[in-house]
Order: sequence, then C-alpha cells, then structure tokens
Amino acid sequence: MGSRASTLLREEEIEEIKKETGFSHSQITRLYSRFTSLDKGENGTLSREDFQRIPELAINPLGDRIINAFFPEGEDQVNFRGFMRTLAHFRPIEDNEKNKDPIASEPLNSRSNKLLFAFRLYDLDRDDKISRDELLQVLRMMVGVNISDEQLGSIADRTIQEADQNGDNSISFNEFIKVGNVYILYIDIDIDI
Amino acid sequence: MASLKEEVEEKKKLIATLRNKPWRMKRRLKLLKECQAFVEEFEGALGKGKGRKLYAYKVMMAKKMIKFNRDFDNFKTACIPWERKIKEVESHFGSSVASYFIFLRWMYGLNLVLFAFMFGLVVLPEVMMGLPYGSIPRKTVPRAEQDRAMDISVLLDFGGYCKYSILFYGFYNDERTIGVLQFRLPLSYLLVGVGIFGYSLMVVIRTMARNSDEGGDGGDDGQFTFAFKMFTSWDYLIGNPETADNKYASITTSFKESIVDEQENQKDENIHLRRFLRVLANFLILCSLGGSGFLIYFVVKRSQEFANLDQDDLSWFEKNEVEFVMSLLGLVCPPLFETIAELEEYHPRIALKWQLGRIFALFLGNLYTFLFALFDEVNAKLEKEKSIRNATIWGLNEYYSNYSSYHNTTDIPPPDIHPADVIRGPCWETAVGIEFVKLTVSDIQVTYMTILIGDFLRAMIVRFLNYCWCWDLEAGFPSYGEFDISGNVLGLIFNQGMIWMGAFYAPGLVGLNVLRLLTSMYYQCWAVMSCNVPHERVFKASKSNNFYMGLLLLVLFLSLLPVVYTIMTLPPSFDCGPFSGREQMYNVVMETIENDLPAFIGNIFTYATNPGLILPAVLLMVLAIYYLNATSKNYQNANLELKKKMQMARDEEKNRRNNKENTNQVMQDLEDLLPNRSLLPPAAAEEKPPPVREKGSKSPKVAKRPGAAANGKGINIQKDVSLAAPNPKAAVTHPPGPRGPSGNARGPPPGPARGRGRGTPPSRR
Repeated sequence: MGSRASTLLREEEIEEIKKETGFSHSQITRLYSRFTSLDKGENGTLSREDFQRIPELAINPLGDRIINAFFPEGEDQVNFRGFMRTLAHFRPIEDNEKNKDPIASEPLNSRSNKLLFAFRLYDLDRDDKISRDELLQVLRMMVGVNISDEQLGSIADRTIQEADQNGDNSISFNEFIKVGNVYILYIDIDIDI
Repeated sequence: MASLKEEVEEKKKLIATLRNKPWRMKRRLKLLKECQAFVEEFEGALGKGKGRKLYAYKVMMAKKMIKFNRDFDNFKTACIPWERKIKEVESHFGSSVASYFIFLRWMYGLNLVLFAFMFGLVVLPEVMMGLPYGSIPRKTVPRAEQDRAMDISVLLDFGGYCKYSILFYGFYNDERTIGVLQFRLPLSYLLVGVGIFGYSLMVVIRTMARNSDEGGDGGDDGQFTFAFKMFTSWDYLIGNPETADNKYASITTSFKESIVDEQENQKDENIHLRRFLRVLANFLILCSLGGSGFLIYFVVKRSQEFANLDQDDLSWFEKNEVEFVMSLLGLVCPPLFETIAELEEYHPRIALKWQLGRIFALFLGNLYTFLFALFDEVNAKLEKEKSIRNATIWGLNEYYSNYSSYHNTTDIPPPDIHPADVIRGPCWETAVGIEFVKLTVSDIQVTYMTILIGDFLRAMIVRFLNYCWCWDLEAGFPSYGEFDISGNVLGLIFNQGMIWMGAFYAPGLVGLNVLRLLTSMYYQCWAVMSCNVPHERVFKASKSNNFYMGLLLLVLFLSLLPVVYTIMTLPPSFDCGPFSGREQMYNVVMETIENDLPAFIGNIFTYATNPGLILPAVLLMVLAIYYLNATSKNYQNANLELKKKMQMARDEEKNRRNNKENTNQVMQDLEDLLPNRSLLPPAAAEEKPPPVREKGSKSPKVAKRPGAAANGKGINIQKDVSLAAPNPKAAVTHPPGPRGPSGNARGPPPGPARGRGRGTPPSRR
C-alpha cells in the first residue's frame, strides 16, 4: 500500500505541495496513503460520501460543514492538491518558520488563517458576518430539542452581545479573532476545559 | 535543518577570521569560546565531526524517551478507575452530581491505602507469625459460648467465632516480638493506629491545597462565557457514537448551567425583604436544631434510666427508643430544612452548602449520643474487669500456693487449664469495636435499602402505574426522584468518621469499608442512571471540592479525639489485645525506646518532651502560620489587582478603538488638548458601562447594548457637528504655554497649523 502510493505521487508534485502547505516529505506521503484509502472509487478524487465514512466527522454536529470546506465552490469532487490545501490549515504552527521569509505571503496554517477556516464554518452565506440566524442554526445542531426555542434565542443574543464590538448585531471576523485570542489565554488557566 | 547548517558555517567562518577583527582580546576570546561550543554541539547533528554517532544516539534516545513518557501518561490516565462511568453521569446530570462520585472515588483510594497499612503491618504478621486460633485464652471462644458460636444470628451480631478473630482488637497477642523476624506487634499496632490519622490528615490537607489552586467558587464570569461555549465546546477527537451522545448531553447541560447562573445574576434585588426572609429562615432552623438536640438529650437520659431497670419489663419501643428517635430525626429534618431554605432564595450552589452545613449540625447530635452511650458501656466494663481481674489473680495465687504445698517444689509449671475454660475479663475494646462494626453494617443496609425502595421502586411504580392512574404520575406527585447530593455526601463523610474512630479497635473494619465503597460506586452509578432524573435547575459545582474536604477535615478531628483520649488515659484490658498487662497503651513506645533503641536516643526523647522545649516550638509554629497567612493574603491581593488592570486595559482598548472609528480629526485634536478629556465622557459612557462586569448590572447591559448600537452612530455624529462649531474659539483660548507663540497668528484660523501633523479635519467646513 505504501509503495504503491509513493509511485503514484511524483517528486515534483511533492515539492510543490511542500512549498504551498509546509508539510514535510514523510507527512505528505502518509497523507497520500490516507487519501487513497478513503478513495473507494479509485479515481484520484474524493466525494462527500467518502468523507462521511470517517467516524469522527460523521458524529460531529458540524461535520457536514467541515466536509463542505474541503470542496471548492460548487464542485463535488476534490483531488489530492485541494485535500492538502485544506489540511494545511491544521498543521501546527512552528516557531522557526517566522524567521524564514518575511516577504512571502502568510502561510496557510497561520493563526488567523486557522481562525478564518473556523469562521467560515459558521458563516454559511459568506458575507463575512455571523448573524443571529446562523448562530441559531449552530445551536440547534449542537443541542437538539432539549432547550426551548426562546432560551436558544437568548443564548444567541448573549453570544453576539459578548463578542460584538461595533454594534451591528453580528460577529465579524475581527471580533471572532478577538474571542479566539482570549480563549488561548483561558485554556491555560481554566483546567476544566 | 538547513538554517542550522548555515549557522554552523557562519560560526566556522567567524572562528577562522577572528584574528583579523579589530576587537579587544577579551571580546575575541569570549566569542571564540561561544563559537567553538556551538560548532561542537551542532556539528554532530549535521552528520559531521567527532560527536556524530553519539549525537545521533542521543537524539534517538531523547525521542524514545518522549514517546515513552507520553505512553506512560496515557497509561496512567487509562488506569484511573471508573472515569468513563463518571463522565457518563456528568454529561447527563451535571457536574454537581458527578462531584459526589469523584469524592467517592477519592475516598475509595484513601481507604485502600489505609487498608494496606492495617492489613500489611498488623493483620498479616499476626496471622502468619503469631499463635494460631485456640492456643491461648484470648484467641479461643469461651466454653460457655461454644455451643452457639456458629449460629448465624450470633455471627451476624459479630459474636461467636467473629468476635475471637482477627477482625477485632482482642485477638492480638501482647508478646513483645513474634516470629523469626522479631516483629514488634504491639508497637506496630499502636503506630499504625496513630499513623492512620496522620496519613489521612496529610492527604486531606494536600488535596485541599491542590484544589485551592484551581480558583475559587464556580461560576467565575469570564469575558466570553457564552461565546466560548458556542464555538469551542465540541471535542473533535471523539470517534465513538456513545461518547458523542454523552458529549451532546454534556453540552446541553452546560448551557443549562450557564442559563441558571445568568438568571441568578439578573434577579431582582429587593434587599430588605430578602434579608428579612433569610434571618427568619435561619431563626426557624436554629429552633428546630435546638429542639432536636434537646429531644436527643432527653431520650439518652431516659435510656440511661432504663438501663438500670430490669430488661424484661421494657417494651420494644422503650428498648430501642434512642435509635428510633434518631432515625425519625434523620428522615424528617433534612426535607424540613430544604423547605425552609426556599425562603432564602440563594443560588443553588450556595443553597447546597447551607443545607450541608445544617444537616451536619443535626448529625453531630447523632454522634454525641452514640459516643455517650459507648462511653457508658466502656465504664461499666472497666468496673466489671476490676473484679474479674482481682478474682483471677487470687485464683492464680491460690493455685501456686496449693501446688507448692502439695508437691513441695518451687519450680511450678503453669496451670494446666484448657484455654476455653479460663475466666475471661470483659474485653471493652472488642466490645467497642463490635459496636462500630455493627453501626457501619446497619448504615450500609439502610443506605442500600433506601436506594432500592426510595428510588428504584418509586421509579418502577411511576413508570408502570402511570398507564392506569388518574393523574400524570411522572409530572405530578411522586415523579422520579432527584439525586440527593447533600444527603449522600454527608453520609459518606460520617461513615468515614466512624471508620476512623473504629479502626483502632477493629482492624477488619477498614477492609469492610473498602468493600462497601467499591460496591457503592457501582450500585449508585447504576441507580442514578436508571432511576433518577436531572435536577430542575442544573448548576455547576464549584471547581474545587474544598467544601467537602473541609467537612471531612472537621470530622477527622472529631474522630481523632476519642481515640487519642483512649490511648492516653484509659487503661487497656488486662487479658486481651496487644497492650494487655500495661498501665497505659502508649507505654509500649516507652518500653521500645528503653529496650530496643540505643541509650542516647532515650536521652534525646527525654529532653524533647521537656515543656521548656515544647512551648517555644509551639510558639514558633504559631508565628510561622501567622506569617504564611499574611503572605498568602498579600499574594491574593496582588492577583486581584493584576486582574483588574488587565480588565481595564481591555476596556481602554475597546473604547479607544470604538472612539477612533466614530470621531473625526477635530475630536482627536480636542482629545489631545484637554487633559481630562472632559468632552469625551458622553461618548465613552455609552461604551463603558457595558464592559464593566458587575453581577447586578447585567440586565441593564442587555437592554443598553442594542440601544447603544442603534443610537451610537447617531449620537456621535451629533457630537461631531456640535463640537465642530465652537471649535475655533475653544481651541485658541485654552492651552497656555504652547499656544502662546501661535496666538499671534490668531487672525487666520489656527486649524491648518495644528492640522499639519494630522491631515485636514474634514467636517470643519
């Protein structure tokens, strides 16, 4: 399985992917073998059903949205390059990268790009704002019918009120970044989470 | 990797050209040393140089070590027992119910260690190296009791063979050393008895200290509580569907908890009415506590009188009056307290603490009666013992004198009586041990029965009778039970107090408790998941279990006192137990010091127990406590100050950013000119109250925010317009010094002069 994978992936391709995403050689070959194991149709692309087969994504309330994030606008198949490009968001940030190339554009796994990825999960209509309705949808998915509608509405209102700073009753990307930054402080202190 | 290579190359180049640099010698030498160290360290990493193999080996070992550590940590976490069960309970019932089970698990660990001490250092040596059953009087069932010794009823009462077994104090022999290893059993018994308390004290205080680290009372209001819950509560590493279900339930519960917290913060404050109600409630509860205390005292007094009467004249009720009254109080008072407590309208977490405190006071009454009764019994037995002891000594003397006069020798063999026939004193320590064991067993029975009937049977009835009943049983009267946290926690704490008191007299009691806790864990987890429903208002437990630990500490001290009193004051029985024949129990320690340890240690102990040394030591410790207390208070204050500063900095930034978006250049100029920013507060006031985190002001905040959002832009625009008008005059007249020179240029508007640094103020025209 491993040797078959590496012969199907050419060296130049690996180099290109490495430059674009920052993964190392061994990581790319491992991810390629995972890609091929998911690709049941063996046509070099993944469809949405292939992703649904991953148990962690299947039971995740936001699973569908995460899967959508892999597919570019309007398409139903994703090839290995696209797969890697999305996965690059999840690579851990390493310190020595900061010194490399100050002129190059921000790497795909920078903090703000990660936050942008998360932001896009919630902002369905891509208007760069998370509105109250979008929050309600997410709450409904997370909580089901155990909490009454009006309580859900108050939770959504309260969330917006906490994060919103310019008073437009929705959460923009900058405000979302602010929440994320404070969260990083809290996960050191708050052992419960 | 490549960067490392580059750096090594650089350093090598530097070393080569160091001679040519126009620097001082000292600097060159220092740099040389640095570069050489660097090259040596890292050249191995690049596969060149001398240290290559060693370096590669070191790197491989380091990686293996990291992996090993991580695996070991995973293993340790997997070893924590019942974690999955407790998580399941937590996700369905909330963290307050789960905190009970976490406490139970902690107790189990503590008892396991105590059992290991007792078993390994006292029971095992006696069993393996001591004399077997039946060899000496104390280890044999007396002749009179022998025909009934195997009856179930007697055994269940812990008489018969149970009484003369390793379970109780009386079985242990008082030989100074036993067996091949010369194990000193009496010393070990005493030290283990005291060591149990010492260890428990240490563990409780260590746990309290560790818990206090994790912050104070639960429900800290952070900055983004709801936003965090919404965006970050899902755990992306879950792959198991069952775990996912639990996580759903836990997210729902967590939202409900936050809603409760919010509701509490937004309640209407009618302070006077609430204070009055609280005082009234406390008064009522004090009255009922006083009443129950008096009732218990009265009943105990009466039982003492009854004890003097002939036992056959008393009815069943009169014989068991004390237990009856105590059970009645235990059943009636807690719900009574809960009903009265509804007047107080506390946050559920705080109400739970009050409830715990009050029931604790009630149970202390129980404890008092039990100890009182026990003490009476001990005194009675001591009296009886004196007479038997005298009789035995007299009998022995008679035997010796008869023997010597009959056989005319001075070498007299010991009396040849079968151990079962020897006259035995009433071994009061074993009697006390039996009382404790009986109490523990009946406690276990009552608890399990209550769960079976009160929860399981009730749930069955509600579920199945609901089909054919007039009103909705599930929503209406009986419905399903809720888990009674306070009752269970207190039961656990008092049970542990009993164990601590009884462990000295009944070494088997700790083992019994370990079994009890083990079965309790499974039984109660099952009962909670299948018969109970979550509380109406699910609230988050305080992050630390310190309240439970505090109660436990109190009970530990209370149970320490009787045992220490016994060891120091009461004389041990003369014919049973490891301390028989001695004046006081602690004499064992004295004997050991005299006989077994070298002479100078004895001297050291004599000096150390001198009051002249002990008093200054106590004084020193008191001063140390005071100093540490003061230091910790200072740290706490500094902590609070820092938090406040951080909060203020955040608010400042928020204000500044908001103001920057809305004000124009004119405002900014004014801002710089006016030192106290007197023109800004109206704009800032809109923003400032919302971010300030006071508990009481959350509702006005909810109302204000949308309002501010709607009016904010409008108001600020108005401000711009209104401030722009008087600007030329105001700007010129205010500042003294710097304006002086340009005051001559008052003719043409001073705007461009100032505006040069900042661009043209737009709305001045």
